[in-house]
Amino acid sequence: MIGAHLLISGIIFGLSLGSIFFLITIGLSLCFGLMRVISLDQLLYYNLGAYVTYSISLATGNLWLGVLGGMAAGGAAGFAAERLVFLRIYERDITFSMITSFGILIGGIGVIKYFWGLVPRPVPDPINARIDILGTDIPGYRLVIVAIAALVYAGIWLFLNRTIIGKAIRAGIEDIEHVEGLGINVYRLFTVTFIIAGGLSGLAGGLNAPLVMVDPQMGIDLMAFAFMVVIIGGLGSIKGTLVSSFLVGQVVSLGSLIYAPLAQMAPFAIMLLILLIRPTGLFGSPLLKR
Amino acid sequence: MNVLRWWWGLVLAFSLLALLRVFLPLPFANEIVIFSIYTIGCNFLLGRVGLLSFGQPAYLAVGAYAAAFYFYYVGSNPYLGILIGITAGIVVSFAVGSLFVRLRKDYFALVNLALAVIIFYLMQKVLVGITHGDNGLWFLTSLSSTPVLDLTSPDQFFIFSLLVAFAVWAFYKYLDDSIFGAACLAAKINEDKLRFLGYSNYRIRLLAFVIANTTTSLAGAMYAVYLGFVSPEIGSPSRAADPVVVTILGGVGSLYGPIVGAIAYTGMKDLISKTLGNWELIIGALLVFVMLAGEKGIWGTLEPLLLKALFRRRVPAGTGRDGVTGG
Repeated sequence: MIGAHLLISGIIFGLSLGSIFFLITIGLSLCFGLMRVISLDQLLYYNLGAYVTYSISLATGNLWLGVLGGMAAGGAAGFAAERLVFLRIYERDITFSMITSFGILIGGIGVIKYFWGLVPRPVPDPINARIDILGTDIPGYRLVIVAIAALVYAGIWLFLNRTIIGKAIRAGIEDIEHVEGLGINVYRLFTVTFIIAGGLSGLAGGLNAPLVMVDPQMGIDLMAFAFMVVIIGGLGSIKGTLVSSFLVGQVVSLGSLIYAPLAQMAPFAIMLLILLIRPTGLFGSPLLKR
Repeated sequence: MNVLRWWWGLVLAFSLLALLRVFLPLPFANEIVIFSIYTIGCNFLLGRVGLLSFGQPAYLAVGAYAAAFYFYYVGSNPYLGILIGITAGIVVSFAVGSLFVRLRKDYFALVNLALAVIIFYLMQKVLVGITHGDNGLWFLTSLSSTPVLDLTSPDQFFIFSLLVAFAVWAFYKYLDDSIFGAACLAAKINEDKLRFLGYSNYRIRLLAFVIANTTTSLAGAMYAVYLGFVSPEIGSPSRAADPVVVTILGGVGSLYGPIVGAIAYTGMKDLISKTLGNWELIIGALLVFVMLAGEKGIWGTLEPLLLKALFRRRVPAGTGRDGVTGG
């Protein structure tokens, strides 16, 4: 079987991959839960975040500054897209938002190609230290990613459960018309959610930049995986997104240790199985409201 | 007279399409015709049944690879290869469709994309022994020429693909006029009422799914014959949205939308990438614009105007035969 060292590093790799998936798909999931739109443009903010991180870390030499910049850029882009486009299509059918956001995604990739060109860019790894876990060398940076994802989950949980805006968002996921009836401006909630979602996608891009080459197709390449994570977890459920993103991360990482070609396909096979048993995913709500 | 009225639109459209041959280089014209066949399946699914699928390349790849396996390992008759592609399309879309059409609309779109990814990796990595991975299967020289229409010459292939497209469009026009077409539209607009009338939503959707994706597989098999080689790139998930984009550009649910959309899309891609080198930006912006402007698309906007200009006949929105986009 697989050696213990390989297994441990595989698990850590899977965890960091799952963290990246989680940060991207939480935006998709929140947007679907609250506004009933499928926001494919999160992948654009991911892509943009990675490029801004590249540019800032190249200019200042500090990756963390770059990640912050990427997060801000993602949030700002999300805000702009929400104001210009999504504001007009909240009332429409769900397939409508899917196509429109796909248009934003391709258009945005065109903009990225215009500014940064087609060549893949490398971003240096900021932490060279390797940490010893049970006799296995683990790159420190991957652990940092996992820690940041855990912090984000805790922060989102606190935000949704302890602040009044967060509680309003949670109530909006349950029943948007009642929230509106209470005198809360739901469109402001939508904007806030969009900024958070865009910012987290940008953060994911920035964090992932040192691990992969930054290129214009990185967002589209991830599309299938992002879809799959939200389907397995159930659209609109944050807990489901967390569980399924780590599940998918582990399947990809450990699967590649067993038989490399199967690693890309195994998650999709799992998804098909889960959908056959539960057509709305693991934690998805059975009803589509509105 | 009735017969004439039923056919004249089709004949006019396809004689115009045949005229393209005069103005455009041959590969370009061939590409447009095959691409329109590729798109009409997606157009039917989205416009008539209300199912958005981001996984059309999967069915394209099924048709293309079924034909390619036949050419590479068994025989050389191009017509038989296309028939095999169609059969594979029916089998695969029936098998996956019976699982997929039960799902909710949003999950349906995503699951199809997942299928496209699975088929892509299957062809690229897992079945490397049979498909030769990224190198693809080459069989251009081993295709045998046939007596009446020689598909190995691009010139006659254009005539063949035009004939096939004509047949496909006549079929879809017939579907639109039939009770089945009405039931499909009802499944899009009000499925509860359809169930109340005694129809099975599931069966109607499944049949529509099989029909649409078999057409897509036909386009795949035609690509295989036309290009003479098949590589996993044909089913690449990164091109998953192409048919959706063309459908939207042409006009959702309109009969001639896919042709207009395919001409506009291939033309723009060629022109813009020659002059600006950045076609994604324009396509994306255009897509958002068309969606915000009322998702009628190019043909959906032009058609009422044309009819009005030609016949001084007013077609109220939503009642024209080809202009029904529904809810």
